[in-house]
Amino acid sequence: MTLVFDRLRKEYGQVVAIDDVTASFAPGLIHGVIGPNGAGKSTLINMTAGSYTVSSGSIVLDGKRLDRLKKYQIANSGVARTYQNIRLFDQMTTLENLEVCFYPTDVGGTWKEVLWPPYASSRRDRRREKCMEILRFFDLQGHADAEAGSLPYGRQRMLEIARALVCNPRVLLLDEPAAGLNHHETAELTARLAAQRSPDRITIIVEHDMDLVMALCDNIIVMHHGKLLFQGTPAEVQASTDVQLAYLGTANDIDDIRAAAQDRRAQLGIRTRRRS
Amino acid sequence: MLGNLIQQTVNALTIGSIYALIALGYTMVYGVLRMINFAHGEMFMLGAYVAFLVLSMLVGDVGMAGAIALTVAFLVAIFLVGFIGVGIERVAYKPLRNSTRLAPMLSSLGVSLSLVTGIQILAGPQPVAFPSFFPVVRYEVMGGTITSMQIGILVAAFVLMFGLYFLVNRSRIGIIVRAVSESRPTAQLLGINVNGAISMVFFVGPLLGAAGGILYASYYGIMSPSMGAVIGLKAFTAAILGGIGSIPGAMLGAFILAFVEVGGTALLPIVTHGVLGTEYRDVLTFAILILVLLVRPAGILGEAVSEESIVYKREF
Amino acid sequence: MSVAETLAAVRPRSSRAVAFLVFAIAIALIAATPFLPNYYIRVIDSLLIYILLGIGLNIVIGYTGLLDLGFVAFYAVGAYSYALLASPQLDLHLPFLLILLVAACLGAITGILLGIPVLRLRGDYLAIVTLGFGEIVRIIINNLDWLTGGPKGIARLDKASILGIQIARPVDFFWLLLVVVLLAGLVAWRLERSILGKAWAAIREDQDAARGIGINTTNAKLAAFATSATIGSIAGAIFGASQRFVSPESFTLQESVLIVLMIVVGGIGNILGIVAGAAILILLPEVLREFAEWRILFLGLLMIFLIIVRPAGIVPRSFGPDKLIRRLIGK
Repeated sequence: MTLVFDRLRKEYGQVVAIDDVTASFAPGLIHGVIGPNGAGKSTLINMTAGSYTVSSGSIVLDGKRLDRLKKYQIANSGVARTYQNIRLFDQMTTLENLEVCFYPTDVGGTWKEVLWPPYASSRRDRRREKCMEILRFFDLQGHADAEAGSLPYGRQRMLEIARALVCNPRVLLLDEPAAGLNHHETAELTARLAAQRSPDRITIIVEHDMDLVMALCDNIIVMHHGKLLFQGTPAEVQASTDVQLAYLGTANDIDDIRAAAQDRRAQLGIRTRRRS
Repeated sequence: MLGNLIQQTVNALTIGSIYALIALGYTMVYGVLRMINFAHGEMFMLGAYVAFLVLSMLVGDVGMAGAIALTVAFLVAIFLVGFIGVGIERVAYKPLRNSTRLAPMLSSLGVSLSLVTGIQILAGPQPVAFPSFFPVVRYEVMGGTITSMQIGILVAAFVLMFGLYFLVNRSRIGIIVRAVSESRPTAQLLGINVNGAISMVFFVGPLLGAAGGILYASYYGIMSPSMGAVIGLKAFTAAILGGIGSIPGAMLGAFILAFVEVGGTALLPIVTHGVLGTEYRDVLTFAILILVLLVRPAGILGEAVSEESIVYKREF
Repeated sequence: MSVAETLAAVRPRSSRAVAFLVFAIAIALIAATPFLPNYYIRVIDSLLIYILLGIGLNIVIGYTGLLDLGFVAFYAVGAYSYALLASPQLDLHLPFLLILLVAACLGAITGILLGIPVLRLRGDYLAIVTLGFGEIVRIIINNLDWLTGGPKGIARLDKASILGIQIARPVDFFWLLLVVVLLAGLVAWRLERSILGKAWAAIREDQDAARGIGINTTNAKLAAFATSATIGSIAGAIFGASQRFVSPESFTLQESVLIVLMIVVGGIGNILGIVAGAAILILLPEVLREFAEWRILFLGLLMIFLIIVRPAGIVPRSFGPDKLIRRLIGK
């Protein structure tokens, strides 16, 4: 059972952002989605997570159609995501940012939590234990009681991924996780993403950083003008002249792609930092 | 019957043009700052009070003649309120520009409260008779009555609205304001004077609101410190109805609201066999507001905004 | 010992002293209240009602981050529940506790009925729609003469009694309100710390991201609305019983704004802040009696000033009742 896009399409008026994309994503693997700016990579993630509506076609996870569900229902079906521009709950602590993810399972006991303190503390302890485990995995345990908004940028990225992973999702969608990170942080990110790999999980990464994608992904999808241009292993993608043409207009070597990615990363770094 | 129809139509047009003047201020502020300015209704109220003060000074101290005095008072009052609006923005909203979305709204509530009570202290809480800014002549048109006052209000309101239309669509400052409301961060990166654009909006909005206030007070012959609250709410309804952030939308919404109100007031007792009287007119307005928001939250001319494309991160 | 060390040693003790002082003043006030002249007890009663209203509205504004400007409508629902069910108006004379229950249910139902259509809207529209709702309720009360007595209101409400004990004097209401305020405060505070409270905070911080982690934001917001409306309605019923007279005048838009202002001044999202805000709002006019008209002007300006200079209000969000108690027992 897998995540399947079937003739997936997204139109904004006359503009076709995603043009009949059909693809399937097997569990246990890390899937990379690459392509030039405006190729529709983030749109794919946003449609899968329910942030954008689907114009036609379908998204099916383990035989269940996701495209007709509401965003929170999709999340409860096991799809977790991060955002291109970090979206944490800034004024909540790092720990609370993770704790709140247990809302769908624990909300039924709210009144019991209010009226019966021992129940509340046992529930809270159980939740926090799971959260601390994830925080330790991301080396964030020292920041557990700090406000999320006050963390350094790199830690915020990590925390957002931790938040996506805390409920052990079936599908993990990462929208440019390396944007704005320095070399050191990118290396850390690559290691952690490799370590979170599990046989049941479908990980999809949209990213401009070719080093990260090539090192991490088992399967790469290349998007171009909303269409699926190429699909294959990193080695196959690097060898493909189609891909190079799409990226640069002329056949050229991978170093230029890397330079473009660096550029993009620097831009995003400025943009996202200015916001906070 | 036809006469009555004409009379009601002119009534609706008159009141609609006043709503439109106020609605424009809401919609422009929302367009640029994504903020509901709860103090905007008070600009409407201030307009009437400032005009009254200026007029009594002109007539009493300077001894200026009627028509000229009225025109001068009108112009002085609307420009004064415009500057007051700019000042309020500087003091109460500007420091909060990078704060949560709730903060400037709360601040504007504080401004609204302060202005209403301030005027109550200075001029007394009771309603005051307001002089007519237009000579009142009644015309009989096919059995209906239209006054010269209504015509004057319509002319004044339309002149102001056309002025705004040219300012926004034909002038440099208009382009800047539109750029800022499209995307403030982008405008800033392009080196556009964002503060200037915001000040402009907080000058023009209160100016139009004040004009609305003077026309309104003159139409009903009365002004009171609390007159801004309900009218402000209605104008805001009009702005949402037309699609908040859209200037033509605000005007369209205002006229639709006025027609529904005038029509509803006439029809409500008949349709409900007297169970619901004309006193439920305001209920009708708010019911429309809630209905529109449910069916078409973006309003008639507003564009639907996707969740993810909202520039500012926090809802509040 | 260096200066820094001395300071470090002194600070926890002094903050403990502050905590002791707060508690001592509170207990002294509570103990002294029954011996005060009736006039002052009435002032304290109205202070407690405002605290209760603040606790209710704070769930929506402070915890969930939704600006509700029509809160006074729920207050009116409670007050008119009592007025209609315990007065000659409809010749109904139900017992006080039963009416309290009815008012609570009616409040919750009104909250949900208003919430269902409205809570799907974007945050800033909510403010204006709730404002409109508050006005609709007031206009209806004003015009439904056969039921509500119109602008004249309903007079000669029954004296309240609980299990045979009559609640009529201001001091009786003081004890009743004290119990209700403490209960409501406790429930609100525990709700904030529950998983639902965390979800409210997440909605306040970033509604879309909250949806993205599986929170049904509409339901969570409805829960906040209903809880808040219930508390507001209970406050209204007690208000009706204590005044033994209700009229639309008590439920104007300005009243809603004052409650919002009280929360903002005291500290958004914090129960201790509400107490501080209510104290300023209610006691200030008593102190500034001669300048009665200036007080709202002053409050309005104070609101602007605080929002800009100290957006967290007088008492910061992080300083909750738990901190106060922890300092008191010295942990």
